Amino acid sequence: MSTTPAVGAPPAGRRGAGTPHKDRPTRPVGRRLPLLLILPTLVLLVVALGYPIGWQLVTSFREFGLLQQFGAPPAWVGLDNYRSLVTDPELWQVVVRSLVFCVVTAVLTVLVGGALAILMNALDRLPRLILQVSLLLAWAMPVVASMTVWIWIVDWRRGLLNWLLTRVGVEAAQGHNWLSQPLSFLAVACVIVVWMSVPFVALSIYAGLTQVSAEVIEAATIDGASFLQRLRHIILPLIAPVLSIVILLQLIWDLRVFTQIKVLQDAGSVANETNLLGTYVYQLGTGKGDFGSASAVSVFMLVLTVALSWYYVRSLMKEDS
Amino acid sequence: MNRRLPLVALTSAALLLTACASGESSDTPAATTSTSNADKTVTLWLAGGDTPDELRTYLQDTFKAKTGATLAVEEQSWGDLVTKLTTALPDAENTPDVVELGNTQSPTFTNVGAFLDISDQYDALGGDKLLPSFVEAGSVDGKKYALPYYFGSRYLFMRKDVWKEAGVEQPTTLEEFNAAVARITSENPRDIKNFSGFFLGGQDWRNGISWIFANGGELAKKENGQWVSTLSDANSLKGLQQLQEIYRSASKAPSDAKDQSPWLYINDTDQILDENQKPTGKTSLTAATIMAPGWAHWSIGDLVKKDGKDVREWNPKKFGTFVLPGSDGQPAPVFAGGSNIAISAKSQNPELSKELMKIIFSAEYQQKLGGAGLGPANSDYVSSLGDDEFAKALIDSASKSKLTPAAPGWAAVESSMVMEEFFGKIRDAQDLTVLAKEYDAKITPMLNLQ
Amino acid sequence: MRRSRTSRTLLTVLALAVALLWAFPVYWMLNSAFLPNVVLQSTTPTFLPFGGSVDNFRVVVTDPAFVQALAVSLVVTLTTVVAALVVAFLGALAISRFRFRGRASFVVALLLIQMLPAEGLFIAQYKMMSSLGLLNRSLGLAVLYTAAVVPFTIWMLRGFVAGVPADLEEAAMVDGLSRTRAFLKITFPLLAPGLVASGVYAFLQAWNEFTVALVVMTEEQARTLPLWLRGFVQASASRETDWGQVMAASTLVALPVIVFFLIVQGRMSSGLVGGAVKG
Repeated sequence: MSTTPAVGAPPAGRRGAGTPHKDRPTRPVGRRLPLLLILPTLVLLVVALGYPIGWQLVTSFREFGLLQQFGAPPAWVGLDNYRSLVTDPELWQVVVRSLVFCVVTAVLTVLVGGALAILMNALDRLPRLILQVSLLLAWAMPVVASMTVWIWIVDWRRGLLNWLLTRVGVEAAQGHNWLSQPLSFLAVACVIVVWMSVPFVALSIYAGLTQVSAEVIEAATIDGASFLQRLRHIILPLIAPVLSIVILLQLIWDLRVFTQIKVLQDAGSVANETNLLGTYVYQLGTGKGDFGSASAVSVFMLVLTVALSWYYVRSLMKEDS
Repeated sequence: MNRRLPLVALTSAALLLTACASGESSDTPAATTSTSNADKTVTLWLAGGDTPDELRTYLQDTFKAKTGATLAVEEQSWGDLVTKLTTALPDAENTPDVVELGNTQSPTFTNVGAFLDISDQYDALGGDKLLPSFVEAGSVDGKKYALPYYFGSRYLFMRKDVWKEAGVEQPTTLEEFNAAVARITSENPRDIKNFSGFFLGGQDWRNGISWIFANGGELAKKENGQWVSTLSDANSLKGLQQLQEIYRSASKAPSDAKDQSPWLYINDTDQILDENQKPTGKTSLTAATIMAPGWAHWSIGDLVKKDGKDVREWNPKKFGTFVLPGSDGQPAPVFAGGSNIAISAKSQNPELSKELMKIIFSAEYQQKLGGAGLGPANSDYVSSLGDDEFAKALIDSASKSKLTPAAPGWAAVESSMVMEEFFGKIRDAQDLTVLAKEYDAKITPMLNLQ
Repeated sequence: MRRSRTSRTLLTVLALAVALLWAFPVYWMLNSAFLPNVVLQSTTPTFLPFGGSVDNFRVVVTDPAFVQALAVSLVVTLTTVVAALVVAFLGALAISRFRFRGRASFVVALLLIQMLPAEGLFIAQYKMMSSLGLLNRSLGLAVLYTAAVVPFTIWMLRGFVAGVPADLEEAAMVDGLSRTRAFLKITFPLLAPGLVASGVYAFLQAWNEFTVALVVMTEEQARTLPLWLRGFVQASASRETDWGQVMAASTLVALPVIVFFLIVQGRMSSGLVGGAVKG
């Protein structure tokens, strides 16, 4: 992987050059130009998402089941869907499970990804290239395919994991079913999601690290700073912006994880004890045909995510106002 | 995949047999309108790959010849069928005209008004000869909407050699069966780890409910116009207790195993050869008995090479079939698997769709279904299944077979996986009555559509 | 940096171990694709495809449905990549070069859209595509995909656009270049890594997505590759799963992505961070 500045991210010296432009006298064309520039995005988002989001919001206040889907007039029920959800202990179990899963998975992903990034930074060219290509391979594998392989690896009867464990002397592993208990099910899911997300995180952080100039670190090393000191006082502050966006994205993505859980549930386990928010919405809507409640959970999930990332969103607003 | 080969042989034989007969029956009135239909297309959704290609082609050719219109056959996978039916059926512009759906999914879609009333066609398509339980699953207030397409009930596959080594005779009643498989497990004549006398997945409720049915129990019944789940009724509980005993003493299947590929466990090893062609693999035989749909027999047997490919060849010395016996020695009521078929209420081509139904329920097509190993909807043509041991077992097991409740919300019960959950907990349940009551309370509200 | 020989060797060994671990599922997919099903069904794994054959690939490639799905996927994915890059570039230009009213709300909206759970939107998406006459059309799916990837693509690109000094452009204009030419000559090359990274992201999303496609591509001839692969897995799951064929099919689905990745990888990882750093 090339790290020459010419094709790399804008070299550090030029960074920040973007911000002064706000003070630049606005040319006449500048008034309408930015709005014209974001117009395609707005049109696209409204066309593709406007109706579905509106429908979801409206439906969350209606009684909407299969009967309504097949033409019966839907009745307005106000907040009934929300009320019955909030009083349903199952929703809260799912929420807690999702939050724990999301935080654990996101933190693990960033820790592993960060460690790999630091490792890459310290490596010679060839081993680094090998590591990067293998991460890319994992990232490029279609979800349907990688889930098939993973399910196979943890299969109770001819799975590789049990075979290996038995080989190293863990006799109890023979025929052990990893998916049958909710806890080990979620652990397996967590490992899979971490495996899938680490390449993006590792490569992002690594790219951030390449911008920390080697001279600064060398100077610190000569001054006798230990690895941990260097990490804390020099490297971390410099890559903080990358880290924060990566963490935020991981949190958002891991909270709405769906495909991996759904495919694992189809392979085994008790669905109702392993549901996360994504599969819960799916099961309520497509499964039980209760689209009113499913929409209410979706809206609730959106609010939850916003609440979780409020701090970050606010700092964004501040920066821009 | 390896099921296809023998099917080709079977169906082409059936084609030959019926080729002569098909000439005279095509004199329907629709033939006169051929030209005006030329630009029309009727869409048929088939679920999964159960309908062989030869039958699809037959439908298309016959439909073209009869009506002049084109028949588009599209395969939808079972896993996505409910989603697709939910979105596409209400959409007049894009609805498929005729759809196959699981018999247990029929009540739900019939009750919400997804299908066209075809009561007027019912008698012409076979009337009383059509499988009554399937017809009921597609009827509301006496009107017929979805009719049976094919059935395939489940029966038992055994390892004759292992049964013999364990010194156990083939059982003739349900109680004998329960005891026999427990004994084989404890005998474990080949000293295999995690050996099951009868391999029954913990979440395999479609096979497990046979024990409820066989003891006179029901999954649900209609009381005062409302459906009520009846897992905790006395007869159901009796069946559940027997099932718990099987789970505890006869089956080593994991409690979250479903009904997928149980045949892997009664085959001998799939041998692995090292570089010197010396077998290094261990035996993979772990069960003496399994319960599966009839077509599983294509995947059971000794491993042989055919045309350079590894295929399974049924070995009657080693393998056998029998029907789960009831307490009275008659076949037990097992779950009647199968499909229904219906016309979308929003179809733009209702008349052409009805023509397609005529073809599907014609003697030729019904016999072709039988020839392909699928139980024909019309009882007159059951003989087309043949008379080998698989056909016999299929017909016997179907004779008493039962369907899941015709409640409008049954599809919701299935897709919420609550039955899997309940059955998965049976083995470790301290008090089955409490567990059954808990799940009755969960299932009852789902059975009735709001 | 000076490092002792042993610590370098240790690091290399560690890196290789991690690389092995991460690539293992990919290797396992490849390995299995060459093995016949009976070997794969065994309880003892086979690690090397000795005695394997390309039979599985032959079965898959000769499936006409595969070729058709490949064509649909290519059209949908390439449309998405191009459309997303154009739209997102304009959007990124707006938010990184200009201050305007509503800018903050726009940026926050981009973030919020990513938080939207998609699992409840199926019915509405279907209804919308049906009423627009875009059901089973590659264009319709590409529109949905573009909308799904544009918010994050703008995020990735904004730091890049901000990092290209407008002064350079202006200097070029002073030198007599037109605004467009100045942009093409000066700005565009500097943006290339960012565009590549965003393109890869869009490609990956559009290539692998299947839940939305499942709902709006109902006809057999409109299926994308992941739908075809899923159908393949499910069809064989209802009988004896032919793992070898499933894995050969998976390999073929993954192949274009991997090739695409390897071609652009040099420019990518550096590009990934452009947007993030500015985050």
